[in-house]
Amino acid sequence: MRKKLTRRKSDRYRLFRFVFLGGLLLTLTLIFLVSTLSSQRFGSLHKLVIETVGPVQKLFAAGGASISSFKNEYLDILQDVIKVREENKRLLKQLQETEGTLNRSREAMATNASLRRLLEFKNNLSRPTVGAAVIGKDPSTWFRSVIIDQGANRGIVKGNAVVNSEGVVGQIFTTSPNYAKVLLAIAPSSAIDVMLQKSRVRGMLKGNGTLTYRLEYILKTVDVAEGEHVVTAGYGGVFPTGVPVGVVSRIVHKPRGMFHEIEVTPSVDYQTLEHLLTIEQQDVSELKQVEQP
Amino acid sequence: MVVVSFILVGVLLVIVQTTLCMPSPVWWLAPDFYYVLVGYLAYRLDLIRSLIILFPLGCTLDVLSGTVLGLHSILCFGGYFLLRFISAKLPVLESLYQIPLVATSFLAVSWCAHVIVSAFDKEVLLPWSWPLMMVRILLVGVFAFPLFRLFDMVRKLAQRNILPWNRLHLRVDNRRRRRSG
Repeated sequence: MRKKLTRRKSDRYRLFRFVFLGGLLLTLTLIFLVSTLSSQRFGSLHKLVIETVGPVQKLFAAGGASISSFKNEYLDILQDVIKVREENKRLLKQLQETEGTLNRSREAMATNASLRRLLEFKNNLSRPTVGAAVIGKDPSTWFRSVIIDQGANRGIVKGNAVVNSEGVVGQIFTTSPNYAKVLLAIAPSSAIDVMLQKSRVRGMLKGNGTLTYRLEYILKTVDVAEGEHVVTAGYGGVFPTGVPVGVVSRIVHKPRGMFHEIEVTPSVDYQTLEHLLTIEQQDVSELKQVEQP
Repeated sequence: MVVVSFILVGVLLVIVQTTLCMPSPVWWLAPDFYYVLVGYLAYRLDLIRSLIILFPLGCTLDVLSGTVLGLHSILCFGGYFLLRFISAKLPVLESLYQIPLVATSFLAVSWCAHVIVSAFDKEVLLPWSWPLMMVRILLVGVFAFPLFRLFDMVRKLAQRNILPWNRLHLRVDNRRRRRSG
């Protein structure tokens, strides 16, 4: 019974305390709100609040800045790396394309220069010529010949002279309708009538198979000097007169025999043969002139 | 099919030899692929088919190289018969001497051809050069193995039936079945 009475007292006290404290808090809040709204003053309470919250806010702000800086430094870098890689790929592709274009234009310029020289040379020749390109080279160890991409259909016949802008290359050996084989002047079976440009003495130029010629039948009485130019003599109407052949590079003086042994360095670079001109033989062109009214 | 394939391969090898392997007309490191094919034919193919292949091969070589027509054909046929004769006579294991014999026979046939042609006209050919020929023999030896593998592959491919003739073949009755009558 006593216990029941004690519990009832306690419950009432609790209710009273709750109502009292709630009423007090509500009253204080109402007073605070009314006073704050009416006066608009940044009071002590506000200052206390800001002083309490400020450090926390500062801490969070600093944390946010750190996170932002971390993001900028690392996460964005990752994105940048991906972007840079893509950019790198694009630039590399662009560079390759540019290099390809550059190589092509360089090749075109070199071809252009070579063809320009050949054209100038062609304009200096009085006879009709046909331009041709080297398409194949003799792989055997015993011959020196090349295949060109023009043949009988363009008027090329056996024996036609073959030159380039630097000088004599050889002669047409065989022809087919669209291709021809050129016997190079360095071949051992090649023989061309030439003369020493200064002394006008005629001789026979033969090939060695190497990158030099052998000049034969120059009498020992003739004064020949190293460095003297050798040009075509124009005999037989195959080569025009005065086409460069080479330069005397060595003279062997032998006590026996009637003739000099002369070595001639070709004016043509046989290692870079590309574009050639075949010159029509004199008698053929003359025949054509006769046929025309 | 094998004959056509090897004719095409031979012509292609000659073209490669005269273009890609020859940067300049005086280049001396051009490998003689055609002679490896000659060796292969001598070892692996029967006489009739080999001769049919060697004719266009020699002809192509004569057209694209040199000024003495028929010289390369002589080299091809000479090399072929020499290799065939030696390989038939040698008692040792074939794989031991195949490649060295191809290279050696190239030297022998080349030397014979050079001597014969020079005897008729001295100024047609370049003088014989041992160092140069040694390099060429070495190149033949070096390229022999990979080219033999390639030729084996070509032969295998060529021997496959592109058209299923065997399926079109009319099958007769089962010869194992007992005759009823």
